Amino acid sequence: MRGLGELESAIMERLWSYRRPVSVRDVLEDLRQEREIAYTTVMTVMDKLFKKGLLRREPAGKAYAYETVASREAYTAQLMRETLASSANQAATLVHFLERLTPEEATALEAALQVYPTKGRQ
Amino acid sequence: MIVSAVLVAYTVVAMSLLPRVLPRGAWSERAPRLAIAVWLAACASAVVSAFLAGVAAAVPGSVVGHGLAGLFQMCAAMLSGGSAFATTGGRLAMTGSLLIASWAACCGLAVLLRARRERRRHALMLRILGRPDDAIGATVVEHDEPVAYCLPGRRGQAVITTGALRSLAPEEVAAVIAHERAHLRGRHHLLLAAVETLVRAFPRLPLFAQARDEVTRLVELLADDVAASRHPRIHIAAALVRLATGRAPAFTLGAGGETAITRVRRMLDPKAPLNLRERLAGVITITALLSGPAAVALVPGISVFLAHHCHRLTMF
Repeated sequence: MRGLGELESAIMERLWSYRRPVSVRDVLEDLRQEREIAYTTVMTVMDKLFKKGLLRREPAGKAYAYETVASREAYTAQLMRETLASSANQAATLVHFLERLTPEEATALEAALQVYPTKGRQ
Repeated sequence: MIVSAVLVAYTVVAMSLLPRVLPRGAWSERAPRLAIAVWLAACASAVVSAFLAGVAAAVPGSVVGHGLAGLFQMCAAMLSGGSAFATTGGRLAMTGSLLIASWAACCGLAVLLRARRERRRHALMLRILGRPDDAIGATVVEHDEPVAYCLPGRRGQAVITTGALRSLAPEEVAAVIAHERAHLRGRHHLLLAAVETLVRAFPRLPLFAQARDEVTRLVELLADDVAASRHPRIHIAAALVRLATGRAPAFTLGAGGETAITRVRRMLDPKAPLNLRERLAGVITITALLSGPAAVALVPGISVFLAHHCHRLTMF
């Protein structure tokens, strides 16, 4: 299971680096340079990534040409946005430090932090 | 019937009165763990009492009082579709009780399943976008916004952004991760799922709404305390301030950071933990909340039991 998760990540890395639609075989050959891996394994994982909405594909000949839906940065930004917005459902992810302090509160707290070490020494 | 009425009355009073009398300020901040237990016990007390009110109305005391055999007989009659209840009212009351129980169970299941689905999706994205950093003990995500959180579950993980790593000193990062690990180890997401379930199942009831707010706040304080047992409090306080000030306005929730201020204040200027008497008062409150409704429901059964069996004793 862990291996499959790592493969998902390796395949996404490759697809982000190509910047063009590629077939399963292209990815396979790339991956085979550093590991033993079967065509069907790569195909299964890429199909899964497509179903999860991370890849899109177009028919190209007998196979599909795959490409990423969005850039890595865009995915990260979206994930963080969702994470911070999901604070209503903390049963799923526990997000803290959510509150934003007003400038006055921030100044007051910064001041408290500055004072603390002195107080500790006394 | 009287027992039933008492339980209904208790439920109504508990729903409206408990959120006002239960500890909110200083008391709970000095003992977050105990305060969480009190809130959960209060919620359980109200739900159980509502449930037992129906059961008590349906099951006459004489049935319970004459021993378990009578009760089982009644249950068997109920299951085989026969009419076990003396009155239509009893039947209705029992149906109400079962509805409450099954509705709460359904909502709980829905909350857990939804959370699991979201966590799986989130874990997939983290596998792809993040990189595990063993030195920090967290998954690091390349992102400018300073964010730290944890993703519970079987393979629970703490997550921190590169933005947070940049704005925090290494010892502050360690303190933040200790806080997240405390959430994971304490299974705080399950506590939150429990109060979330009650709010979903029985919306607009002040007791449950308040319990959710308080438990959400208190698990933060609790995780701070756990982190503070291994890390200097000043690092936790500093990390809190840095993470609370560095966020883009788009992500703000409400105005001001009341909890953040409480947390920083607690870390910088810790109050004495509860003394034995205060702690005992908390434990007694929890016990009373949990056993009260059951004790009331058992009164007719026990009195019938005593009347039935003890008159023989008095003869000797």
